[in-house]
Parts: sequence; structure tokens; C-alpha cells
Amino acid sequence: MQTPEFQGTHLFDRLCWAKENLDGVQSDYRVVYEDSIDECAKILVPDPNWMACALQGGILPPVWVYWELAKDEAQPDFKKHTRGYLLHQTEPMPAMTEEEAIEYLIQKDVPQHVWKTWNEGNKPKMVICRKEQLPSTREWRNAWKIAEDINATDLAA
Amino acid sequence: MAGKIVADTLEHSTAGSIATNYVVNGSAKAWGHLNAGHDAFEDSFGFSSVTDNGTGDATSTFSNAFSNDDYAIAAGLKENSATNRSCHCNASSTTTIQMVSGLTASSSKQDYDSSYIVMGDLA
Repeated sequence: MQTPEFQGTHLFDRLCWAKENLDGVQSDYRVVYEDSIDECAKILVPDPNWMACALQGGILPPVWVYWELAKDEAQPDFKKHTRGYLLHQTEPMPAMTEEEAIEYLIQKDVPQHVWKTWNEGNKPKMVICRKEQLPSTREWRNAWKIAEDINATDLAA
Repeated sequence: MAGKIVADTLEHSTAGSIATNYVVNGSAKAWGHLNAGHDAFEDSFGFSSVTDNGTGDATSTFSNAFSNDDYAIAAGLKENSATNRSCHCNASSTTTIQMVSGLTASSSKQDYDSSYIVMGDLA
């Protein structure tokens, strides 16, 4: 199905169109990350409707738009967004592959201090894996950590 | 876009009228139903991901952004014969909500089949 010309259309309307017209895509990818040594590993799961939008193209704004809004929100005197138009007026992203969509999602939904320095420590603090590589039950969920012996060479292999 | 109706007011023959901005603003901007493992959406709208933070603790990120973090959230659990259990918002920003479910009596977090809707003004 062809995506309508959405630049200038409110993002909410685009998401409504996608919900109506696109089948959700359940990704097998998971992003496991640790953003605090005192907490267990967190696991990011892509939303199927969002993944469908990413693969379709012409719907989602570029990720830098979210960074700009996050900068605004981080200001001490922040009351409300005044640059929401960036979400709706900026040229949408073209169709992505599933892998490109995961990279985009990491940069959108994982804390920047994690993904910008994911390999600057004794072990990687973020790993992309398949669902079946996670424990099959949630037993001891609050003790899950990224393996100590994993390294960037393993990840590149 | 095909089938588009542009109108500022809807009027009923006897019941009165309503401005369409109330209809738009009164729609849920995001909703989600987390599975019993509390780690993935069964179905949803308006979210880009859910992050499993641990037992009974998940952060959902919006595809859109709200104007501010004063939006309204309604949450509930789907549990047979459940008592003394709750699902509530622990923290929020214009792009994320952290939802926690658990036992109210012991304050311990537990994974439950939970759902929530979010209403408010988008950026």
C-alpha cells in the first residue's frame, strides 16, 4: 500500500492511518541494556504498530526531532512543548529495514548515555539480541544482567 | 486524504452540538495492553516500544509527544479473582510513562496482565 503524502499532516493522524491500514510487525529483536549498576538489565521491545510504520516509510519523523524535544523538556523552566511542529512538518523517514528501524529505535527510546557509550566499559552495556536468546522464563527477573564475559568482538561476530 | 470531513462543529437534531476539537481532544492519544509477563504489548496504539525494567515494572515510550506531562492516565488489571492489586503510573515525561503493577498489601511488584489509556494534549 502506498503511504499518502504525510509531510505537514499531524503525526497522530498518520498513526491512525497506520493502525487502520497496516498489519503490525512483531520483531524478534530485543535490546538489552544496563543504565545503572544497581539495577537489573532492561529489555526494550519494539511495538508492532510502530515497527510497521518504520518498515512502511513516510510516516515517522526523523529521530533528531525527538532529541530536540528532549532538549527542550530538559530545560529547568520547561512548561510545555512549543516546537511540536517539528514532529508534523519535518519530512518523514523513508522505509527502513528492520535492522535500521532497531537502530532508530535505540536512538529514540534508549537513554543517550547508554547508547552513546555502549562499549566504553569493562563490558558492553547494551546488546541487541533475538527474543529466543533471552531466558525462557521470568524467574529471577530482577537479577538479570548482561553476561560479564561478553565483548564487542563476540557481538561483531 | 480520501474520506476526509472538515468541520468545526457536529450538531444533533435535538441533543445539541459539540465542537469537533472536543472530539479530537477527547480521544485517547495512546493505549496499550501489556501481556501477563508485563514485557510486551498484546495490542496498542501510539507507542514505539515498551521497556521491561524488571518484575512488574515497564516503561512505555510514545510515538508522538505530549504537550506536557500533565496528561491523564487510566490503568487497570485483568486478573481473575484479583484483590489488593494495583497498576499505577510511577513516573512520566512528555514521551514516556513508567507503569508499575503489584500487590497493594505488601507493596511488592508483580507481573500482571495490565492495560492503560492516555489522554491529553499532544505537542
